[in-house]
Amino acid sequence: MKNDTLQQLWDAQEGNLPIESPETIIQKAKSQRRGQWLTIIILSLTVITLVVFALSFVNQWNSFFGGLLLMISSLVFRIVLEYISMYRKEGQLIALDNKSFRMYLKTYYKNRLKVNYYITPICFALYVIGFLLLLPYFKRELSSGFYTYIIISGIISLIVLIVIIAHSVKKEQGFLRQLQDQ
Amino acid sequence: MNSEKDFTEVYHTHAPKVFRLCMGYASGDEDLAKEWLQETFIKVWKHRKTFRKEANAGTWIYRIAVNVCLSDLRKTQNSQSIQEHMMASEIADSEEINQEDNIHKLYGCIDQLTAQNKALILLELEEVPQATIAETVGLAHGAVRTRLSRIRNALLKCMTYEK
Repeated sequence: MKNDTLQQLWDAQEGNLPIESPETIIQKAKSQRRGQWLTIIILSLTVITLVVFALSFVNQWNSFFGGLLLMISSLVFRIVLEYISMYRKEGQLIALDNKSFRMYLKTYYKNRLKVNYYITPICFALYVIGFLLLLPYFKRELSSGFYTYIIISGIISLIVLIVIIAHSVKKEQGFLRQLQDQ
Repeated sequence: MNSEKDFTEVYHTHAPKVFRLCMGYASGDEDLAKEWLQETFIKVWKHRKTFRKEANAGTWIYRIAVNVCLSDLRKTQNSQSIQEHMMASEIADSEEINQEDNIHKLYGCIDQLTAQNKALILLELEEVPQATIAETVGLAHGAVRTRLSRIRNALLKCMTYEK
């Protein structure tokens, strides 16, 4: 088989490519942008509400507010971290050539593993502590049936969260291995 | 490339090449290639203001496309089916092997290359100038030429062996 044959073979692929119209692409890009802005607005409002909430109740502080604040702030912190990481990755994807981007990806996944091993468990622990701090109030204020429901659904949610985190760690370890093998 | 009209023009010029480049990366998985093509041009539209007018739009777009394909580290579903396809072809009478089989074999051989070599050969097959390829992948022009020659030989050997 000669060199030219490769080119001829490649060129002989079907001419009718099933690609979308540029208008559809622009619409999708715009809707993605709107979604990103909406997330930023919601996260900013949550952070502002948390700060206002903490400042307003600073004099009548109790473990209920503490628990609530721990739960929401650990969650918001982790989501913000995720967004910053995604935003940076996209910036590098646009700016870097292929060789530099591959090197960046290796660092990116190494850092992701650090986040998964250290920061995520800390956020998770803070979230659980926050949840535990709320329980005495729930027990006092709610019916025993609803309290049991909160305990069971809370435990199930935490187990689901652990499974999701473990799955994500495993997947990203695989990505890093794949990049190092290439 | 700030207006929709400019984008449309750029899209029509480069989308077919980007699609086939993605097909090569996706080992002929059309759905995955479409997804990557779409993601590439969504990024092109979103970051169009960062594109310097004096730069080459093609180089910029291919760079984004290669990085999009590279950063999606999911295993392509077709890797397995290509192997099966090749085995089926070997069983069939050699005269019956048509062009489609050969294209599948070519995808299979390209799939065995490293990520960077895949980018080099796919851009070369799309007749992208070697200087642009060098800029896209971040290698010296001379190195690209040497590497491409080796890759072509390896592909030809692979294609012959698979036959």
